[in-house]
Amino acid sequence: MTTFQRAGRDVLYNALGSLVGFFGFFVVVFTLVPGLALTVTVAATVVGLLLVTVSLRLAGLVAALHRRLLARMLGDVVPSPTPRQPGFGVLGRLDSRLRYRPGWRSVGFVLVKLPVAVLQAFTVASVICGLIDVSYPVSWLLFRQSPPGAHLGPLHTVGPLPLGMAVSSWPATLPATLIGAGYVLAGVWLARGMAMVDRRLIRGMLGPRKLDERVSELERTRALAVDDAAAALRRVERDLHDGAQMRLAALAMNLGMAQEKLDTVDDPSVRELIDAAHRNAVHALADLRDLARGIHPPALDNGLAVALESLAASSAIPATVSAHIPGSVAEGRPAPAIETIAYFCAAELIANATKHSYANQIKIEIYTERPGFLQLRICDDGIGGAEQARGSGLDGLAQRVSTVDGRIGISSPPGGPTVVTVELPLRASGEK
Amino acid sequence: MRVVIAEDAALLREGLIRLLEDRGHTVCAAVTDGGTLLAAVADHKPDVAVVDIRMPPTHTDEGIRAALTMRREFPGTGVLVFSQYIETSYSAQLLEGGAAGVGYLLKDRVANVAEFAAALERVAAGGTALDPEVVSQLFRASRRRGGIDSLTPRERQVLALMAEGRSNAGIAAELVVSGGAVEKHVASIFGKLGLPPDDSDNRRVLAVLRYLGG
Repeated sequence: MTTFQRAGRDVLYNALGSLVGFFGFFVVVFTLVPGLALTVTVAATVVGLLLVTVSLRLAGLVAALHRRLLARMLGDVVPSPTPRQPGFGVLGRLDSRLRYRPGWRSVGFVLVKLPVAVLQAFTVASVICGLIDVSYPVSWLLFRQSPPGAHLGPLHTVGPLPLGMAVSSWPATLPATLIGAGYVLAGVWLARGMAMVDRRLIRGMLGPRKLDERVSELERTRALAVDDAAAALRRVERDLHDGAQMRLAALAMNLGMAQEKLDTVDDPSVRELIDAAHRNAVHALADLRDLARGIHPPALDNGLAVALESLAASSAIPATVSAHIPGSVAEGRPAPAIETIAYFCAAELIANATKHSYANQIKIEIYTERPGFLQLRICDDGIGGAEQARGSGLDGLAQRVSTVDGRIGISSPPGGPTVVTVELPLRASGEK
Repeated sequence: MRVVIAEDAALLREGLIRLLEDRGHTVCAAVTDGGTLLAAVADHKPDVAVVDIRMPPTHTDEGIRAALTMRREFPGTGVLVFSQYIETSYSAQLLEGGAAGVGYLLKDRVANVAEFAAALERVAAGGTALDPEVVSQLFRASRRRGGIDSLTPRERQVLALMAEGRSNAGIAAELVVSGGAVEKHVASIFGKLGLPPDDSDNRRVLAVLRYLGG
């Protein structure tokens, strides 16, 4: 990029930046000031707070515009700050908007931006005026060729500073040109400086904080780890199924066939050995099946609802499943890692109920009441009194759920019923 | 008996062929996925097909889907599904259209060659062969209605064997009792559960499964 292009780019950036700056300042101030004023009155606090959230929202949009401008024109990409956690219910949503720090930082930026925008406008004005002054020798020749005797007033140089001169003859346009060139150079130099200041300001106030960046990086890698672990376990189960389990089944079958043919052999010790080998192969097959099922229940490949049905069918206490979740990933089916966590939570909770609750009936429900989240609810009509003590099964469950920022809620008054609710994000990565 | 086998693991496939041919049955075709299974069944019109559940390409439930298609399109051919796992949803789907000519066994059961062959013959003849695990799941699911609690332990054993699809003679052999004793137990069970008495094995299995499955 030539120096010339670069100068043009810097000046244009300042021109657009100051426009957005002025616009943003007025929009935000005209909503924020009445909003805050109404908030302190008793009568219209709610309206005031709503207006403040509108203002925060507008500041966020203006901030996004500034980031975009910076990325497009100067090629400096500042990532957006960490997105706001959506709140629960009307008040929760209001609260989460008001507490969203990057929103307030945007407001701060918009306010600080006003003096910056004034200076940016100044640099642009300087360059434009300078260009006009530089063009005087040409415009004199073009427009001042009036017939002799006509009396014209002198031309005045223009500029952002009050240091002008009157030009009344063509030779006098030369110093005007020099002044113009000075304005242009100063303007370009200032424009470069202001672009840098603006860039610093945007980076500092509108980008993600260091800690935020670290947190989102950790969240991302943790999600990868969770997904990886789930995929690895699934692979192990598949390898067992296609490898060891299949070979053992074939072995048991061959031993079974050998047993039948042994009826013609006289030596009873051979018969005993083959019988024992056959028994061991059958037991190993059953052990391996339990092991593989614990690693990754194959029914999960057909979806969480099907897997939970299977789980309910093998429960010692009669259990029913009601599932209201989408069947495909596009419609919002949970990620495989999340389904696995939900499945093992359900298995653990059913096992707990079987051991401690003396219940006659277990109800398993899965649904997506809150967008982006999967809810699993397990109710039993037992004696209650379940608690999340350290080292208990429920504590282990809470830890498992917390690896994806899930939540667990337990209601188990003495005398029952026990209701455990597990809430998991649909994706481990937390991207909505 | 003419058999088609669908099993993607070569070791088991070869073993099954050998096992069946040793017993004088004919294996018309041995295939490795659901699509070719249906083609082979259409070609050979076998008495029964042995179908693995997890087969290529997705390794999830190809076998079940192929079995359900077979049940619809080739009602004359028995289907014995076998798998490393018993899944309730699969047994429910298989039994939806009745219990005639249906089998669902764990792969472990091939270890007992004689029993496996007998189960396959039952399915080929239009009978039923359910794995004891399927039956115990059905028992658990039906326990809340309480009827089963009124049975004696021996009667419960007999009921489970009936649900697996065994005939009176088969039950007598399994429990090492006389045929007459089994008949007495069966009559008592039907009386206690309020089921209509029926001599046909297949209708009897159906009645028991209906009772258990609700």
